[in-house]
Amino acid sequence: METSELLKKVRKIEIKTRGLSNQVFSGEYHTAFKGRGMTFSEVREYAPGDPIRSIDWNVTARFNQPFVKVFEEERELTMMLIVDVSGSSNFGSKSQQKRDIITEISAVLAFSGTQNNDKIGAILFTDKVEKFIPPKKGKSHVLRIIRELIDFTPTGNGTNIHEAMSFFNSVTNKRSIAFLISDYYDKDFDRPLQIASRKHDLVSLIIRDRAEDQLPSLGLAPIVDFESGKRLWIDTSSKSVRNHYNQRKAAHQKYTIELLRKAGIDYTEIYTGQPYTKPLMQLFKKREAKR
Amino acid sequence: MADWEFQNIEYLYGLSIIPILIVWFVLRDRYRHPVLNYSSTSFIGSAGIKAKLIHLPFILRLIAIAGLIVALARPQSATSWQDVSTEGIDIVMALDISSSMLAQDFKPNRLSAAKEVGGEFMLSRPNDRIGLVVYAGQSFTQCPLTTDHEKLVNLFSGIKNGMIVDGTAIGMGLANAVNRLKESDAKSKVIILLTDGENTSGSIPPLTAAEIAATFGVKVYTIGVGTVGQAPFPVKDMFGRTVNQMIDVNIDEETLKAIAEQTGGKYFRATDKNKLEQIYMEIDQLEKTVIEETQYEKKNEEFPLIAAFSFLLLMAEQVIKRTWLKSALTDV
Repeated sequence: METSELLKKVRKIEIKTRGLSNQVFSGEYHTAFKGRGMTFSEVREYAPGDPIRSIDWNVTARFNQPFVKVFEEERELTMMLIVDVSGSSNFGSKSQQKRDIITEISAVLAFSGTQNNDKIGAILFTDKVEKFIPPKKGKSHVLRIIRELIDFTPTGNGTNIHEAMSFFNSVTNKRSIAFLISDYYDKDFDRPLQIASRKHDLVSLIIRDRAEDQLPSLGLAPIVDFESGKRLWIDTSSKSVRNHYNQRKAAHQKYTIELLRKAGIDYTEIYTGQPYTKPLMQLFKKREAKR
Repeated sequence: MADWEFQNIEYLYGLSIIPILIVWFVLRDRYRHPVLNYSSTSFIGSAGIKAKLIHLPFILRLIAIAGLIVALARPQSATSWQDVSTEGIDIVMALDISSSMLAQDFKPNRLSAAKEVGGEFMLSRPNDRIGLVVYAGQSFTQCPLTTDHEKLVNLFSGIKNGMIVDGTAIGMGLANAVNRLKESDAKSKVIILLTDGENTSGSIPPLTAAEIAATFGVKVYTIGVGTVGQAPFPVKDMFGRTVNQMIDVNIDEETLKAIAEQTGGKYFRATDKNKLEQIYMEIDQLEKTVIEETQYEKKNEEFPLIAAFSFLLLMAEQVIKRTWLKSALTDV
């Protein structure tokens, strides 16, 4: 991808998601992922309605005007975006590919994080860890992550969540907020997931496409598996073939959700081509309610 | 019996295009159709019967191409038969079985040697009719002209000395043989007269018989049997034992030559068994049968069936490809 084009794209995503993170998510994110303890951040003039308890009497005496102390939670949180860039993320049945929505969501989360002065890092994985961007603060760093998400060409095709989570567990020792954004075309990754969820604030975002859940009837067609690269002639017009696929796919989804639930991880399912604000908000609200 | 053969067999080399086509197809197949990318086909249980038969049209086409190439080579089923209308010759073998034929200058004796060699001669001429006349003091027909050579050899080996009154009636034997041949309408009529002595009895002199033979157009080959000089001859002595006694061999060669000459044949002198064999071989050469072999061959062109079948397959391929196995992604 050309640099100017890339920058344009990054900019577009920035504009699109900035608003979201400013208006919709900032509060939700802030409250959903809280730091530990409160630190004093500043004093400001008293406004009616402020609790008398928070008045800083020393400053009030000095300025002859009432001032109140403002406390802020201790943030300095680290946010890790563990992003699946495997072959299957290139799929998308409507205007959007899974990869596009993954990038957008990552951007939203990253901008929300910067507003709270959090450090943002990213792990891009396929069947191995493709790229690790260490957590840093700042808008330019977020933009870099977005650029990587748009432009990165993975060397692998498959999905190995086990590997990615093990890597995540080994590189982060500080408690952090982690978003595992993937389509979960994988199995048996519960162990490192459980370890990670015990230590970190781990949230799963399951990215789906309608055309994946139900095999569409497209007649007889050569179909290439994004993950394995294998080519297969499939008679998608056959009802039994479709039913069989749908059943197995549904079973796998059930399996994934069951696995996440057992590991005690909050999750939400996000479909391509549909607004992701609602499921994200619901997820954040759920987390707030848990406290 | 239908044999298959190809009129233009070189066209069959065209069949080598089949493996090339297969390789080409396999190499190209991947890029021939636009493909549908999908997240994962790992949840596909079975691809469906149509997907399994996706290469059926190609296989049909291959078979059709092979069939057309075979048809080009013009396969013919030939029903052939030989009509061997051999106009064989008729041979009567006149064999002397007088007691002098027991002389042992031939091994084991003249008669046995003559029978052995004569038997082989018969079997070597399967297309001729052969008759058998024996003579000593008189003459009779052992076997009339026949093509059943097995039977003939059987009868031939049954010949013994002493079947007839002793003596040597060459004329009678020859006349009898001619009698056997006179009705025959074969192209060539031959008598092989074998003797070891002189005409000593009979009512017909040899030369008269030869005249008769010449009249009927019968060729007479004469064979004189016996060594030059003396030959051991078994006789019973006064005690009833068999002893060999040397006896002069005298063959009336003059008469035999005359007979041969008069009838257009040839005289041979056999001094031992090998010589006798050579004589028979020579006669065999002289009397080469002209075998007229007419070979009929009926050829049926088999290509229309194969070609029709191939076209049918091609049509089936197109129909299947365009209907049942139609894919939205492929252009036919």
